[in-house]
Amino acid sequence: MTLSEIGHIAMEMGTLLLSSGAETYRVEESISRVCLSLGVKEAEIFVIPSTIIIYLRKSGDEAITRTRRIHHRAIDLTTVDQINDLSRRLGREKLSYLEIIKEIETIRAIPEYPLFLQIFSTGFAAFMFALFFNATIKNSLFAFMIGIMIDLQIRYMAKFETNRFFMTVIAGMLISTVAVVVTLLGFTDSFNTIIIGSIMPLVPGLAITQSLRDVIAGDYLAGITKGLEACLIAAAIAIGIAIPISFFHSILGVII
Amino acid sequence: MNFITCLYAFGGSLAFAILMNIPKNKLVLAAFGGFIAQFTFILGHLYFDSTVISCFLATLSLAFYSEVMARQTASPATIYLVVSLIPLVPGSSIYYTMLYFVQGDTQTGIETGLYTLAIAGALSMGIIIVSSTSKLIHRINQKRNTSQVK
Repeated sequence: MTLSEIGHIAMEMGTLLLSSGAETYRVEESISRVCLSLGVKEAEIFVIPSTIIIYLRKSGDEAITRTRRIHHRAIDLTTVDQINDLSRRLGREKLSYLEIIKEIETIRAIPEYPLFLQIFSTGFAAFMFALFFNATIKNSLFAFMIGIMIDLQIRYMAKFETNRFFMTVIAGMLISTVAVVVTLLGFTDSFNTIIIGSIMPLVPGLAITQSLRDVIAGDYLAGITKGLEACLIAAAIAIGIAIPISFFHSILGVII
Repeated sequence: MNFITCLYAFGGSLAFAILMNIPKNKLVLAAFGGFIAQFTFILGHLYFDSTVISCFLATLSLAFYSEVMARQTASPATIYLVVSLIPLVPGSSIYYTMLYFVQGDTQTGIETGLYTLAIAGALSMGIIIVSSTSKLIHRINQKRNTSQVK
């Protein structure tokens, strides 16, 4: 296998991992494990959440440097699991360049869960967490509907590549507007539990966990980046929810 | 505290597992971590009068569960960790912090905000302790195995 073929494989695997939401230390570890098992003498990998830089040297002074910018990041833990698996397998088995590329393409082609199931899951998460925070069944059903609504809204806005902060603020505004209006119309007597249940699908759970794991691994730069992302999203949720509530609070003088 | 919330935590975690696209055969295993987290949280609350300590204990147990399952199924611990942590995330305290500030009750708002930070800190400490320990044990075992081969 030539050095540039190894570089290609390493880059493809790294890109898939990073754009599916893996921790940066995992990306670095996997790439260097793959390169070393494919016969590279020296592998220097540098990964931050938006960029991968690799330097590979085989024998003598034959060396390459590759870099790639990651623009799009989503959460897809099946891909992380499968690529992680493949990188371990490469240490045990001998596969040719074309075989490995084919494996990577198969992993890339694994379908996500069907769209209706994903939309339903957002609603179901809101429903369950409303119940979790002591809501009545009726309030939880409102949370379910709001959950489905914000899922559709975020999907629609994501099509136009809106940034995540703005999408979350709008989602928060939708949540609290609907919850407060439903309460004002007299369908329920309290909107607190509806709102708490509905914001759970927006909570940046992955960002919090990954940033911590990056910090533990000594990757402070990546940890700070992800941690900042988590704080920003939490702030976006609070801001989005606060706007309609303070509006109703001051304009209509509703006691909340 | 009601034990039925454990089932709600399981259901909510299952929904999150689908949203994060976790492999089909690991969906239920991952969601069960959420059940364990809430169960430990309630048990902790019976003995300690502090939500922060209960959260810390719950994180310890779910992180331990995640590490064990990761070894059993040969997949990254993150898959289990991310999903089972969700029921402990202080979503309601974030909301009440915001609500107090909007209502002009800054004093209570700051208090609730600090409480939220304390819970977040407890979650981080739990994860850090368990993953560092498991990494250490893994390294020690690795070293022992290689020295035996030599």
